[in-house]
Amino acid sequence: MSRSIKKGYFVELSLERKVRRAQQSDDRKPIKTWSRRSTITPDFVGLNLAVHNGKNFLTVYVTENMVGHKLGEFSHTRTFRSHNPHTQK
Amino acid sequence: MARLLGVDIPNRKKIEYSLRYVYGIGPTRSRSVLEEAQIDPNLRTQDLSEQDLSKIMNVILERKYLVEGDLRRDVTANLKRLQSIRSYRGLRHQRGLPVRGQRTITNARTRKGGRKTVGVVRNK
Repeated sequence: MSRSIKKGYFVELSLERKVRRAQQSDDRKPIKTWSRRSTITPDFVGLNLAVHNGKNFLTVYVTENMVGHKLGEFSHTRTFRSHNPHTQK
Repeated sequence: MARLLGVDIPNRKKIEYSLRYVYGIGPTRSRSVLEEAQIDPNLRTQDLSEQDLSKIMNVILERKYLVEGDLRRDVTANLKRLQSIRSYRGLRHQRGLPVRGQRTITNARTRKGGRKTVGVVRNK
């Protein structure tokens, strides 16, 4: 079920603060964050975020199209090892 | 066979059901369109006059329903968007796997297609 509109977007407070500061200061150094559950709001556009995937931080450059998605959607948590025993013989 | 909205050719079924052959129109829209056009849903499509058909078409256009080509384009555009931003959902679409977190160890046959047996090739 999707989130009630009444509640508005969820963005981790600490992250929101950092984003605001970065937007004002023109600092485009990746912002490290563990908050995969935060929604990308229009304020995020143009920033680099280093989103934790459980192991590493994957850098995500936020574009306009990403608004409304969660940060976690762009930081993949699984590595896919192919199923192909034949070629390795 | 009657033509409606360009390419669609519903047939000798009741109009309520033939309308659903239009991509983007299902049971609900079919019924409500007919109601607004004041056409008996039980009539066979072949018994409808040209005016009836154009009345139906006008209702669909008036309501700005995305239908046929436009709707298909809309859907692919959505998929493209998800894929171009490299989101998890886009990736799952590309791979042809379930998008909404379903299990894949078993089932998921609709997305994955028919079973492909992977045998182990042993060295002799």
